[in-house]
Order: sequence, then C-alpha cells, then structure tokens
Amino acid sequence: MTVNEAVPRGEGAPFTPRPVKAGADDPVEVRMTVNGTPTALSLPARVTLADALRDHLGLTGTHVGCEHGVCGMCTVLVDGEAARACLLFAVQLDGADIVTVEGLGRPDALHPLQESFGRHHALQCGFCTPGFLMSSYDLLTNQPDVTEEELPEELSGVICRCTGYRNILTAVDETRRAHPGGVPAPGNCGRTALVGRAGQGTDATDGPDETENAASSGTQDIVLPGGDPTIAMRITTAIDLPEDRVWGVLDDIHLLARCLPGAELTDDYGHGHYAGRARVSVGPVKLTFNGVAQILEHDRAAGRLRAIAQGQDTGGAQTQADITLTTEATEAGTTMHADAKVYLTGRIAQFGRALAGDVSRRMFEQFADAVTEAAASGRAPSGPVKAPSALSLVFAPLLDRVKRLLRRGGRRRRGGREKEH
Amino acid sequence: MKAAPFAYVRPSRLSDAIAELAETRGGGKVIAGGQSLAPVLAMRLARPDTLIDINSIEELGVLTRSGSALHIGAVVRQRRVERDPLSGSVPLLRLALPWVGHRELRSRGTVCGSLAHADPAAELPAVACCLDAELTLTGPNGHRRVSAREFFHGAMTTELTPDEILTSVRLPVAAAGEGFGFAEIARRHGDFALAGVAVRVRLPAGRPEATLTAFGVSDRPVTRDVSEQLAAAVTDSGEAPADRLKGPLSAVADELVDTDGDIHASRDYRRRLLLALAGRELSKAYERARDGAEEVAT
Repeated sequence: MTVNEAVPRGEGAPFTPRPVKAGADDPVEVRMTVNGTPTALSLPARVTLADALRDHLGLTGTHVGCEHGVCGMCTVLVDGEAARACLLFAVQLDGADIVTVEGLGRPDALHPLQESFGRHHALQCGFCTPGFLMSSYDLLTNQPDVTEEELPEELSGVICRCTGYRNILTAVDETRRAHPGGVPAPGNCGRTALVGRAGQGTDATDGPDETENAASSGTQDIVLPGGDPTIAMRITTAIDLPEDRVWGVLDDIHLLARCLPGAELTDDYGHGHYAGRARVSVGPVKLTFNGVAQILEHDRAAGRLRAIAQGQDTGGAQTQADITLTTEATEAGTTMHADAKVYLTGRIAQFGRALAGDVSRRMFEQFADAVTEAAASGRAPSGPVKAPSALSLVFAPLLDRVKRLLRRGGRRRRGGREKEH
Repeated sequence: MKAAPFAYVRPSRLSDAIAELAETRGGGKVIAGGQSLAPVLAMRLARPDTLIDINSIEELGVLTRSGSALHIGAVVRQRRVERDPLSGSVPLLRLALPWVGHRELRSRGTVCGSLAHADPAAELPAVACCLDAELTLTGPNGHRRVSAREFFHGAMTTELTPDEILTSVRLPVAAAGEGFGFAEIARRHGDFALAGVAVRVRLPAGRPEATLTAFGVSDRPVTRDVSEQLAAAVTDSGEAPADRLKGPLSAVADELVDTDGDIHASRDYRRRLLLALAGRELSKAYERARDGAEEVAT
C-alpha cells in the first residue's frame, strides 16, 4: 500500500489534485509526502488523515482522541500549517506535504520544543504531547512574534486532560525566547520506509507486493531507506581458527544461512539473489519475516562479504538490513567483524529502539558463535540455529541491562554524579 | 465514530461540480475545508451519499479586491484571509477571524464554508450580516446573488437549494471614517459563542449610524439598526462610553435573545452578556470611526 516513489511536484507551482470519481466502496489513490517520504496510498474516501497515518503508514505518534475536532490530539502539519488530522479525509490531501510528530525530531537529536517539553515536565501522561508539539511548532514558525500573554489563547486548540498547561506554556515560552526568529525546521524528515500496522497489511498493494515480486523473480534490487538506521552495531568476535576455515563457512551461503538464528534459505535464484524466511520470537511477539537477500560483495581475498536483506512480516512489521562481514587474520586465528545497519518499521519498531538493539546484538552474537562452530566442525550447526526465543533474547538483554544498571549505580555511589552516555 | 461510507467526487470544473451535485438528487454534500462537516459526518448526524470536493476548482480559490468589495472564493481558507494584506480593507473580518475556532481549524476551514454551514453561534455569518455582504449561489440555472441578511433562514438552514453551491462572498470594503467592533464570550477560546456581537459605526455629517449583529443568542445572526441608541449615549464632549450605552441598548438586547438557554448559559445570562458586549464594542467602534481609523490593526 505504501510505495516510496517520487511524487511529481512542480517547483513553486501549486500542486493540483487530479479529478476523481469514486463510489462508496472504491479506493481512491492519494499521493502525499509524509515526513519527507513520498507515499502513495489507496484508501476509501471516508478514512481520515489520522487513521491513514496510524493504520496505513504505521505512524502512531499522531494520537486520536475525540475524532471530531475538539481535543486536538491528532494535530499534524499539512503544507506547513497545523491542522486536525481527524477532520481531514486523506483523499482530500493529494499532493499535500504532511509532517507528524515522528518527523519533528529524532530520539538522539530532539527538536528544541521536545527538549523543552522534557525539561519542564510538560508531558505528564504524554497523550496530548504530539498535538501540543505540532500546534506550538506551527505557532512559533508562522507567528514567531507571538507574545507570552497570547500563548494560552493560541494553544487552546489542544486539550491536556492532566491539566499540565502551566508546564506546557513554560516549555513553549522558553523555546520562543530561545528562537526569536522561529524554531528550527523538523529534524527527522528523511526518506524512510513507511508501512502499516498489524491487520492493515492485508489490503496493501505495494509494500508486500514489492517483496512478493522480488521473491518470485528474485532479481529485483533491494532499496534501503536513505535515513539513519534504527539500529547500527558492530560486533567483533575472535575465532581461534585460521581465516580460510572461517571463509569455508562464509563461501557456502547455505551453510552461512543456517548459522543465522531462526533463518532459512528457501530459494536460490542465482547471481547472489536469495529468498528466505526468518523467525523471531520475543516474549509475546512472534514474527515471521519472508523476504529476499542479495549478496553485494563477496571478496575472499579482501576478507569482505556484504549482503542486504529485506523482509516483511504478515502483520506489517518490516525490516531491512545491510550487513558487512570482514575478517582479519591474527596470530591466534581470525577476528570477524559484523557491521549491521538495521531499519525497522511497524510494530517491531515499537519495541523501543534500545530493546530492539539488544535483541539484534544478541542475534549477531549467536550468529558469530554458530559460524565459529561451523568453521570448526566444517558442518552446519546441529540442526538449524533455533529461532531467537523469549528466554535467550529477552532475559539475556534484560540481565545485561540489570548488570549495567547495577554497575552504574555502584559508580554513582562511589563517584557521585556522572554523565551518562 | 467514523463517517459512514460515501462516494467521493473531485471535479476540476465548477460546471462538473454542479452536474455531480444534481446527479446525487439531494444526497450530495459539498466539501471545501470540511471543518464543520467532518464532525457532523463523524457523529453520523449526516450521511450524504456523495461528497463533492470543490478544492480543485481553480476559480473558487480566488481572493481579490475589486473596487468597493473584497471577493472571497469558496475554497479560500480562513487562515489565508487572516494573513492576506487585502483583507485589511474589511476590518470587521480581520477582527472576527481570530475568534473562529482555533488556528488548527482556520488552516483548513473556509470563509464560504462557514457561511454555508450557518451555525447560529458562528462568527462569519454575523460579519456577513453586519456588513450586508453579497453571496453568490451557483446552480444548474446559473448564478444568483443573495444578501447575507436574507441568506440565513434558521439554524444550519439557508437560502441554498440542494443543487446549489455557495461559490463566493463579496464583503464591502470599509470607507474612511467607519469603525468596527467584534467580540464574543465562549467557555474557552475557540468554542461556540454563548453570545457575540459584530458592530459597524459610520459618522456621516457627525451623526452616528450604527449596525449591531448579535449571534449565539438566536437561531441565526440578527441585525438591528442601533443609530438612535448610540446617538443617545454620546456625551457633549463627543464620547460614547460603554456605560452610557447600556441603558439605551437594554431593550434591544432583551429583544434579540430568543433562545431558551441551555446547560451553558441561561437566557438572562445571555442577555447580560450581549448587553455588555454590545455596549463595549459600540463604544470602541464609535471611537474608531471618530478617529477616522480606516484599517484596524490586528
């Protein structure tokens, strides 16, 4: 249902939506740019922008409260101006530029408004926060000369049910003072993969099709999103075997695949294109990704193997990965580095970045262990490496965290306050 | 709740829109900004067969000043009017717009849409009535022009027939020596008004001519000539303080409030609000007219 295609937009010239005539049950095509990513959706006319963003694009930061324009939870920017996403039918926005709270800032580089909301405890339960952020962004951008006295009235379009207004006003006022000429532009509007939520993926046309088409032909190139990955990691493993033994595993893609926890190759299309399946089960979440992988680089002499992969869960979770394995001969044997960039969307991304990162890291550690075992024995690990399970994946990262916290606590007790990284 | 299913048509020509509307035989509804319509659909108070989206019709997006009138097309957003320097020529509109809903609603809501929706507590119908604006209705038989004071028949009921579209409104540009006032009382800013007033004062040959339009107190905006009442309140030194206006205006205020009151405000409370607002805004408008304020700073 989502396709990252270029939406033709004349520079400067206003975009005129195409004429449409659709029956009550007919889907209507709508092209929008959402947080910098061009998308094309096919929706019944009665679907609101709020529902399109949440259910069809997986952007659940836009909250839905009253659904008839009173509470302001669903406020987003439409062509640079705050508007209620529940009072707009998505089909009316052909050619529009939408920015949601997800586009405002990144977890590692929050927008000044987000920083200020955090600093002043302006979030409380957090439900109205996206609405207040987008409304105040519009205010400080379009009316940077607004006065402190006007703030309560100008922000009256969003309701906070914990009545945290005092802190919200303080946060907005502080940002206003810090940026008298207008606040910085949204900081997270790059090209990213957008995909719907669980249960919404079934009427999808483009997202899953892309994978299916690729799986059937096996030759379609995988396109990674251009933005920053959800998780980037580097795992280094020392293997006490010579480098050529390790490459004995890396050269045999079928053997290699069996070292990946929960993965199996289902098809080999040749020319470095493969189809496969990967199962992940973390606590109550059980995902099965069907997807394709492509070997981009396989250079034994240089000690480098690079592959990209893309998979889609039936529930709409999507993952894309760019993995580079490099080996170096050492006195004791071989050092293998696995560099991975993982892009997550859909419900898997809702885990929280940190936990997803822990899970991914644990998977790569298991992978490295399995490669070691395969290289030592010259055979695939006994049976496929088990899908990452709740026990091994959740408890290990959690245990690690508890340990880290304990260590940190200990340091704090000893060394007083210490900046955390 | 979600809107019931509806067919959706987005024509790019006005004639197509009229034809589509006719084809629905009264089951169609025109949508521009939809800021009043969408809640009605969401609550399923309305279940039109077809929504006719007029936003792609270029000629309806026109905001121009020609001679003595400001012309606002059907899909011109309220926030665009608020910002456009042209609208400074209709100070009453500038005074009223910040009271219309919230910023987030004005981003999408249209001036004509607010008139066509005809909520009794809405601001823009009162502005149109106070200025005696002219509305253009377009149907299968072409255009017809209707005075705003004849357009509103009752709560959400207007002169529009089911096959017509309100295509534009023409508001008279203020002349030198005219003064305006606008205010309302709502439980929170942006809510529907418990009572509100729009006033216009002229001083031809020094003798005041005043028009008062009240809204939120009846099933439609109600307009009265209050020149006499204003003249009666003017002091020897040429002032018309709000306090002196209350006496002469009280009978008008009593007569204008014909709602029975609701959970938010009783009939008596609305009368008191209306009287206070009318006195205050007439006094301000008189002062502005006397000082020859041509444009109102907003």
